[in-house]
Amino acid sequence: MNGHELLSPHATKAIEYGIAVAYLLLFIPFWRAMSRPARARAKAPAFSFADLFQVPEGVHLHRGHAWARPEAGGVTVGIDDFGHGLVGPIDSFQLPIVGFRVRQGDSAFGLTAGGEKFALRAPVDGTVTEVNPLALSDPAALHRDPYGAGWLFRVQPVRLGHNVKTLFSGEKARKFLAESAEALQLAFRPEALSLAQDGGALVHGIARELDPEHWDDVVRASFLTR
Amino acid sequence: MPVNRRQILKLAAAAGATAALPGPGGAEAALARPSKDARAVLVDIANCVGCRSCEMACSEANRLPEPESDVNFETPRATGPDRFTVVNRATAKSAGGDERFAKTQCMHCVEPACASGCVVRALEKRADGPVVYHADRCLGCRYCMVACPFGVPKYEYTKLAPIVRKCTFCAERQAEGKPPACADACPNGALTFGKRAELIEEAKKRIYGTPGKYVSEIYGELEAGGTSWLYISDVPLQTLGLPPGVSKTSYPEMADRALSAVPFVITLWPPLLMGLWAMNKRKEEVAAAGKAGEGRHE
Amino acid sequence: MSEQAIARQMNGSWVRDKIFLGLTPAEYLKSLVTPANAVIAVILAAGIPCLVLRFAKGLGAVSNLSQTWPWGLWVAFDVISGVALAAGGYTVACAVYIFGQKTFRPVLRPAILTGFLGYVFVLFGLIVDLGQPWRLPYQFFLTPGTTAVMYEVGWCVFLYLIVLGLEFAPAALEWLGLAKLRRLLEMMSIGIIVLGVTLSTLHQSSLGAFFLMTPEKVHPFWYSPFLPIFFFISSISAGIGMVIVESSLSHRAFHDRLDPKAPVDMTAITLGLAKAGALVLFAYFFIRLQGLAGSGRWDLLLTGWGAWYGVEMLGFILLPSFLFLVSVRRESVKLARFAGALTVLGVLLNRFNVSLFAYNWTLPKRYVPAAAEILISLTIVTLGVVVFRWIVNRMPVLAEHPDYRGSHE
Repeated sequence: MNGHELLSPHATKAIEYGIAVAYLLLFIPFWRAMSRPARARAKAPAFSFADLFQVPEGVHLHRGHAWARPEAGGVTVGIDDFGHGLVGPIDSFQLPIVGFRVRQGDSAFGLTAGGEKFALRAPVDGTVTEVNPLALSDPAALHRDPYGAGWLFRVQPVRLGHNVKTLFSGEKARKFLAESAEALQLAFRPEALSLAQDGGALVHGIARELDPEHWDDVVRASFLTR
Repeated sequence: MPVNRRQILKLAAAAGATAALPGPGGAEAALARPSKDARAVLVDIANCVGCRSCEMACSEANRLPEPESDVNFETPRATGPDRFTVVNRATAKSAGGDERFAKTQCMHCVEPACASGCVVRALEKRADGPVVYHADRCLGCRYCMVACPFGVPKYEYTKLAPIVRKCTFCAERQAEGKPPACADACPNGALTFGKRAELIEEAKKRIYGTPGKYVSEIYGELEAGGTSWLYISDVPLQTLGLPPGVSKTSYPEMADRALSAVPFVITLWPPLLMGLWAMNKRKEEVAAAGKAGEGRHE
Repeated sequence: MSEQAIARQMNGSWVRDKIFLGLTPAEYLKSLVTPANAVIAVILAAGIPCLVLRFAKGLGAVSNLSQTWPWGLWVAFDVISGVALAAGGYTVACAVYIFGQKTFRPVLRPAILTGFLGYVFVLFGLIVDLGQPWRLPYQFFLTPGTTAVMYEVGWCVFLYLIVLGLEFAPAALEWLGLAKLRRLLEMMSIGIIVLGVTLSTLHQSSLGAFFLMTPEKVHPFWYSPFLPIFFFISSISAGIGMVIVESSLSHRAFHDRLDPKAPVDMTAITLGLAKAGALVLFAYFFIRLQGLAGSGRWDLLLTGWGAWYGVEMLGFILLPSFLFLVSVRRESVKLARFAGALTVLGVLLNRFNVSLFAYNWTLPKRYVPAAAEILISLTIVTLGVVVFRWIVNRMPVLAEHPDYRGSHE
């Protein structure tokens, strides 16, 4: 380089090599400093919404959070884990009468909670054969066992094979519920994470916690019956 | 989506198209190789009396406005869009106490930075010496002004269709076998027009022939890799108003070092990038296949 | 029926739907009366007359360009800095397509749009600065100066404008509902991306190569035979910084254009970019240090120039590198955004230093841009922002088009 050289070429080259070596040495701690939080995060049991939800064998979920379980006598229908947790304590159910014909995706039954009325969509096609008396006598208790004692009604299916194709089961169902919860978290506040947990389970009635003003809109959006 | 032949062909076509574009040649490509007969001018400062006949002759030959008749040499003048050459007084006097003067103009470098940097070849080095300017090509980027280490090209900022203005080395007169107007007009032999190689010999003869008189350096022999205007002086060269610190190597070479990497980037980047893309695609496919397999175990 | 068709039905004519955002012309004009638009109007009211003057009276009438200062604000800012700040297009495209980092997909289209508009307005600035801009095509079709750095830059920018146009076109085609043409483009996408990254490498570095021929004019701390490499690496950090800054501004300014059903994880995106930014800046700092060593002018460190060099190196290269690092460790999006802004300013500072402040460093008489020059530069940037806003408010840039959801590579 032109300009008066204070240093001899040997010294200049030595400095250049020195800078390069110093960089390499400093790069190691720099890289590690940046990677550590990621590793730490991965090591700590990351909270995954998927862990909150159980979907029993044989249960198929509809996008509107109703479930259907084919059994010997027909198909049992109820509301899933997430749906119960979202809406919270239920005041009453409005269930179809025996003999009523339901169609998959149609608004077929409803419930009242927190003074608001909500409709839900039927997960399968069929004719109602039975209604759960517990749903009418003690609606608030059903959330404790959403897939068992919490069943709502039974139908005689007409097109089960066809219906099941558009429902989620097994791993896909768990993913669907996890994504539903994550979408809630992202749409509202990151603190929803802590609100969501109450000893490892979803807070009951989380919609009311997240958005006291418009929680009914949130629920209807999830049930697909806006 | 798996890497398919169609994409690779599309990419090869694209790479081929860019490679087929007229890529940059070596620094010498747009510059004529200086012929052995390339002309130059030897400026002997010891012989310049500051009469400015050269300025007069230049303005006549190039149809420029006449230079001012009365000039106060206190403040150095610069060349301009309508003044291709100026004579300034040196800041030192000769050993005998005489004032000294130096003429500045375009140096017509052997490997001109301006010509090599001109995107439309508006400036062109001719084999016989002059760096000529084609006003009908210039788009006014003014890079020649940035690149020239001597600050020679001047711009017509006041015009609506501005062009660059500088000394032409009287290229038309030279084509007719005549010397440039300034050299012709000099009454005192300060300007000698001839073949560059011969003038360098002449300069050396004068320097070594009169020991102690001249500074033992020919300004322009190595500056910018060699110029066509050579200066010998009996006062220190830095007092003449010529730019000091001009690189002794060719300027176009400096840019060419970077430009020569271009074909390598054009050639190596596509396979490198496509390779990375393919590797990542494969990783994704493997991961997706793994997940699907998992799902099937329901 | 596609959402397109539904919208069309609801909004009446194509013009009303596409141009006036579904409002009547009267309603639309009324909606334009906002404080932001008032500021824009003031800038344009001052700048457009300057533009007219520049073309009516010439460069000398509006600028302080001179025989010793042939390049001024327009070259330093609109051309050289503009190209550096438009680098987000190729960096994010490379990350998403070449390195398969799907996390950054939501910011890809905005980055490409920023890049595309950036280069369009670089061209605009060039047309303002050139003495005879109508002769621009001469370099391609008449008398190509193949040894010139500007020749390579000219071709690269020309081709890259086309590439960016093709990369952004799917968004415009989705807006217009031209599905077949859009599918055709999607097939070519990887070739276009690779071409774009190659062209960007070339011209980003060549902007530095401009100054290779001016070793005496640029201060030793900013001159280096490795200027092209310096410019290329810093263009990557400029792109990263710009995407962080632009995405945070867009998500706030265009909140209503986001898809509520497809929330974007800005935290992951911003921190991912911050990681890359930290590494690039860290390496860039040491590369610049090599430039200092190569110059051998340690003596100049004790001058005012030395202090200024220290400000650029420590305050705008090393500092943002560490801030990015801390933001990743603390998972602080806010800190990452601050570091991103610092990075962008640092690249601007560097480009200005090389082409303006440290250029002609031995000349006592400095160039100061005229008011008209500043207004024109401001006008060009403002127009760029206005066009960006117009496009984002209509085309699927911040959110996927409902008819084409999930149909990306």
